[in-house]
Amino acid sequence: METITINPSPSETKENTPPPETVRAPVKQSLHYRLVITLYRVFAITVLYLVLAGILAYAWVMGFYAVNSSWAAPVILSAADEKSLDFRDKLVISQQTIEDLKVDTSKLQSGVAEMKKHRGALLELEPELGAAIVRERTHNRSTGPELAKLDQQKQADNAKTQKVMAQLKEVEASINKDLSAGLITKGDAATQIAALNTAEGAYTDSRIAEILLTDSVLDKTTTGTNSLDVLEKQAELRSEVAQLDVAINVAEKQLHEETRQIDRLRQAIMTAKQSPYYLNASGERTLYFAFVPYDNQANALVGAAIYDCYLNMIACRKAGTVKQIFTAEEQAVHPIFKTQIRGFLIQMNLDHADSAKSKTVFLGRKPVLF
Amino acid sequence: MAPVLLWLILVLCLLISVVKYLMGIILKFSFPSTKARRDYMYEPSVSVLMPCYNEGKTVYETIESISKSNYPNEKFEVIAQDDCSADDSYEWMLKAQRDFTNIRIRTGRNEVNSGKARSVCNALQHSTAEIIISIDSDCIFHPDAIRELTACFAEPRMGSVGGRVGVRNPNDSVITAIQTIIYYSAFELYKIPENWTRSVCCISGCLFAIRRNLLLEIEPAIRRRNWFGIPVNQGEDRFLTHQTLLRGYGTYINNDALCWTTVPNTLSVLFKQQLRWRRSIVRDFFFTLRTLPQHVWKLHPNTVLTLVLVPLGAIVGFLVVVTALSLDPLAWAGPVPLIAALGIGAILTWVIEKYSAKEAIAHPLAFAAYVGWSLVSSLFLTPLALCTMDSADWGTRTIEQQEVPVGNNHN
Repeated sequence: METITINPSPSETKENTPPPETVRAPVKQSLHYRLVITLYRVFAITVLYLVLAGILAYAWVMGFYAVNSSWAAPVILSAADEKSLDFRDKLVISQQTIEDLKVDTSKLQSGVAEMKKHRGALLELEPELGAAIVRERTHNRSTGPELAKLDQQKQADNAKTQKVMAQLKEVEASINKDLSAGLITKGDAATQIAALNTAEGAYTDSRIAEILLTDSVLDKTTTGTNSLDVLEKQAELRSEVAQLDVAINVAEKQLHEETRQIDRLRQAIMTAKQSPYYLNASGERTLYFAFVPYDNQANALVGAAIYDCYLNMIACRKAGTVKQIFTAEEQAVHPIFKTQIRGFLIQMNLDHADSAKSKTVFLGRKPVLF
Repeated sequence: MAPVLLWLILVLCLLISVVKYLMGIILKFSFPSTKARRDYMYEPSVSVLMPCYNEGKTVYETIESISKSNYPNEKFEVIAQDDCSADDSYEWMLKAQRDFTNIRIRTGRNEVNSGKARSVCNALQHSTAEIIISIDSDCIFHPDAIRELTACFAEPRMGSVGGRVGVRNPNDSVITAIQTIIYYSAFELYKIPENWTRSVCCISGCLFAIRRNLLLEIEPAIRRRNWFGIPVNQGEDRFLTHQTLLRGYGTYINNDALCWTTVPNTLSVLFKQQLRWRRSIVRDFFFTLRTLPQHVWKLHPNTVLTLVLVPLGAIVGFLVVVTALSLDPLAWAGPVPLIAALGIGAILTWVIEKYSAKEAIAHPLAFAAYVGWSLVSSLFLTPLALCTMDSADWGTRTIEQQEVPVGNNHN
């Protein structure tokens, strides 16, 4: 097939030698080769067009999702969804906490009432105790000096009696002598001795009375232990009132705080009940949600139409409407670019349950007009 | 199971590449046996075969650079073979023949457009030299290139020797800067372990020296190369290297034998060139698989692994990139590939500036664009190469309207 023309260098005149012929393939083999080549070319063209179509489709999808922001990604939350279960657990714990707090509050309220009542009783007792002390002191001031005089007189009387009592020994001896001498009878002697014993007993009683009187004078004219006991009790009473004041104050504060905590928890539960995860966990019906990126916030309106499209962008049909918008921030992975994005969830009213399984749906309008 | 296998192959490919680059650094500085024994007293006769197609004036400059070689003029000749160029390449050949009379220059022209490989074979018919050097007609050669190549044939089992290809236009564009770094690292690092075992898997066709008897032995196979009846005219350098190895000869790249090529400076030309190369790699891979037992028996394990795993890595790389793009479309846009490319680019730019100032790159950050190119390369080149195995043109030099056979109606 190929021939060569060699132009010799100026110094050369050498003739060209023809190259060996390329070996031709036999006819049968040639037909076989042609068939293989034809099939290969058909295959290759098909593959290349498929690759080209794939590349164009890929580029189109990438470009579309880079520009379009009206999409939302349906989310199917199962009853066993980890977040829902976690949410439910937390809700139950919160409700349990509220119940515990209520019991605690009730106890505290009873305690405070009891303490206030006790405090009132103590406060009523204190003036009575003060008045009794004053009364007693006034009485002592008047009777004390009089008793002191009587005590002195009693002491003088006893001193005189004591001298008389010294002579009684002699009288007893003379009685015994008279008895021995037979001057008197035994009966007379016994009567006389009994009279002497009576006199001695009277003297002893008089001494006791003197001592008691002295004690009494001491009580009335000086501050004794009894008075101190009374004063101590008065101080204790006051201290108890002060302690009750502190306890009441603490209990009231605690009560206030617990009441506020109950309010906060109630508020949190109210908010939580608006969460998709709570709705999902507590609802018996299947609920449909979708993640909406912040870029699409403007289209996420209650009642806005939801479109579900083939190939995630064309031949769209109305699949339902937006039922509820949850304002809490959510993070999700972009369905196409796989990057982390921020947004929120919406609840959807879907006419076609299959739309919940689509990769994306569109809010408000169809993305490419059809 | 299949994904695991894919990842395993890819990891193996990357591992082999990294190991080869690291070994390249170690061997380059630590193992004298990495370098072939060179005998500059050995001066065999040399024929420089220069197939040409649509190169224009460049062909004149190429012959001019060859004519300035530090090699005894009487011991070498240039045989320029035009493959029916549509431009004035042949006129420039004739002009070079007239102007550089210090050396013997023969010019020839194929009767019909036959492709590079057959043009080399046609030119070979007119050569009687002991060593044949095949060159690209768009390269400029260092005066010592021929001497450096022939000196390596002092080793008796050395079959083919290649030269180091430098980039003439490193700062034309981002694309040329990237190629400069890749060329440099390939020759100065990646191929060093292959040099060590004298089993370079692909000697560049820009500067390819081979023993005449060996080439004559391989020539019929070159002429017979076809793909279901369609002549295969591309990747003759890879084919020759492969055949050299299979015949029990050594292959080696002498980085002191320098030539300079103008690399593509636009994406479309680069794509065409890379597609042509990828096609050669795939074709070579099929050949390797077909004759695997022969390879395992005859070749160094490093060579077998390179011949099998590198093209396999290209195919697996395609699957991995497709999978990655469908699972995570922006994964490739992450900072890690960019930082890695910038790091490698910065280091190699510094090395090139220090050791090969002629190829110094003005904008080292350009290598970051390699991330994008590697994606294009992985994604498109392999499937396109697999689907265009019936292509038989000159690749980057093809001008569409000249693809039909051209007669010898030129001067």
